[in-house]
Amino acid sequence: MNTISKACVAAALISWSLAGMAAEPIKIGVSGPFTGGSAPMGVSMRDGVKLAVADINAHGGVLGRQLQLVERDDEAKNERGVQVAQELINKEKVVGTVGFINTGVALASQRFYQEAKIPVMNNVATGSIVTKQFVGPDNKDNYVFRNAANDTIQSAMIVDEAVVRQKHTKVAILADSTNYGQLGREDLERALAAKGIKPVAVEKYNLKDVDMTAQLLKAKQGGAEVVLTYGIGPELAQIANGMEKLNWKVPIIGSWTLSMGNFIDNAGKNGDGARMPQTFIQDPSSPKRKAFIEAYQKAYKIDRMPSPVSAAQGYDSVYLLAAAIKQAGSTDGVKVREALENLNGTVDGVVTSYTKPYTHDDHEAIKPNMVVIGEVKGGRVVLAK
Amino acid sequence: MEILLQLVFSGIALGMIYAVIAFGYQLTFATSGTLNFGQGEALMLGALVGLSLVGNIHGGPYLNYWLMIPVVIVFGALQGVVVEWIGVRPALKIKSEFGWIMSTIALAIIFKNVAENIWGKDDLTFPTPLSATPFQVFGANVQPMQIVVVLGALAMMLAVEMFNRKSIYGKAVVATSNDRDAAGLMGINTSMVITFSYALSSATAAFAGVLVAPLTLTGATMGTSLGLKAFAVAIIGGLTSGMGAIVGGLILGVAETLTGFYISTGYKEVPGLVLLLLVLAIKPAGLFGKTAIKKV
Repeated sequence: MNTISKACVAAALISWSLAGMAAEPIKIGVSGPFTGGSAPMGVSMRDGVKLAVADINAHGGVLGRQLQLVERDDEAKNERGVQVAQELINKEKVVGTVGFINTGVALASQRFYQEAKIPVMNNVATGSIVTKQFVGPDNKDNYVFRNAANDTIQSAMIVDEAVVRQKHTKVAILADSTNYGQLGREDLERALAAKGIKPVAVEKYNLKDVDMTAQLLKAKQGGAEVVLTYGIGPELAQIANGMEKLNWKVPIIGSWTLSMGNFIDNAGKNGDGARMPQTFIQDPSSPKRKAFIEAYQKAYKIDRMPSPVSAAQGYDSVYLLAAAIKQAGSTDGVKVREALENLNGTVDGVVTSYTKPYTHDDHEAIKPNMVVIGEVKGGRVVLAK
Repeated sequence: MEILLQLVFSGIALGMIYAVIAFGYQLTFATSGTLNFGQGEALMLGALVGLSLVGNIHGGPYLNYWLMIPVVIVFGALQGVVVEWIGVRPALKIKSEFGWIMSTIALAIIFKNVAENIWGKDDLTFPTPLSATPFQVFGANVQPMQIVVVLGALAMMLAVEMFNRKSIYGKAVVATSNDRDAAGLMGINTSMVITFSYALSSATAAFAGVLVAPLTLTGATMGTSLGLKAFAVAIIGGLTSGMGAIVGGLILGVAETLTGFYISTGYKEVPGLVLLLLVLAIKPAGLFGKTAIKKV
């Protein structure tokens, strides 16, 4: 017997014995930006997902099989997201994917999951139309699910905070020029119109803009008493710092991204007091949350989570998907979707306990009563009083 | 009125940043007829090296902000020398017309990737040496650091101009830029002068980097758009004129903030680029440039 055939026999023996020990793992895709301006959200989400998978695997996995993650960095770019989706579906043959931080990436990529009949869990992207992209006469079933507070919920809360609780009537909107910012701006304008308010200034800016003077001056000249924002960390910090340059101090209230570590760090004291809707605050208010925060801090050796909301929602998305696979008793995409739309029992998550989170026509797990207002205070996000 | 003044002040601070980088472009163009398309990256590297010295990211702070500046300038000069040796000298030697374009762009990409690996892809804050609280000038708000940017940029450009006019070495630079072959025949080591001009140009960019870093965020990607804007400034002002760099920078900076306020923030970058097209169409050598006569 020559060396090659010996090696072949050995390899066959090893794989046979491995197959005897454990069934093939269940592959789950993870797609998000792990680099760039959105990275605090993507990395936290991925780390939350990894914690959940480690927990589930330590308890025997799902259907007697281990969960295996396939992580891909979509760099917050739509075209990268499309490549990642195709690779995860066609090459890696994932059972489902969790992720999508950026609304634009979600809208560009989830078509492939819809066509392949594989469920995809948006655990961070908040654009209102994300889960409605494939609703309508042409699509009998929708494979896009979400467990994040969508922009319809958030914009209503932002406006509520600004207009009802803080009693401002003159508001300015500053939103970035991405899909996320512009769709959010539309939601904000709708929510303001419902209260009979027309913003005194609606301005946009590009990613990487270093000078916000023109936008802020317009808001200031319009007599704005509050600035509502829709953007991500680094540019939000430029807004807060730009206000200092103009010696103009009004409250900033905006979408949940004001809780990102790169906003809090780069804005420093100028970011103090900024308020935003949050599904999860790094505050051990329940035993489940306490355990999650401690596990996260221990696993990644940090004190402050870069984006607690993303971590918690990422963690929960895996549990929701795992529960559906268990109930379906199969990894077939159609059966998993049906199970998700009709989940029995309660899935105990970090954000909340999910009882029947989805139906055939409602793919939003987070309802308005699960969201609170957070406030930046001393470099952290705390519950607003 | 105060609004206009506020916009003009912000535009001037922004424009001076462009001007310093544009000044670097024209330093190397004068002596060698080549440009470093990695000027933006030279600025980024200067800012990040400065941040490692004064920030707390790599175990620092090691130095005070003002003491860090000379170190960064020396670093910038060395980086410029590297670019000239690797990217430009071989192209000049074989009399390649365009080889240096690709090689300086290639080096810029390499520098950016290296920086991403050392400092990460995230934006970082640069500690400011001065109070960030603005003071009032005729009703408009100005931050102390904005003044430092403008004065620092002007001082540096003035220093380089004085050096070129007064010192014997500077005269060698001027001679080389006027007629490289004749200067060579007069015993001037022209390739040394070209290396020197690259060192000077990257040093100015590195200096600009640590000047603007406290006003903007610092990160591996900060150089790309600034470098491109500054290139437009160098073309508008003229590649052969230091004055042109300043005036071009101010025009572009002020045009951006004014358009942002009076027209639309969505069109902020349009007028500067329209101006660029106009200059190229009407006075291709730039507003202050001398028309070069190309001998064939």
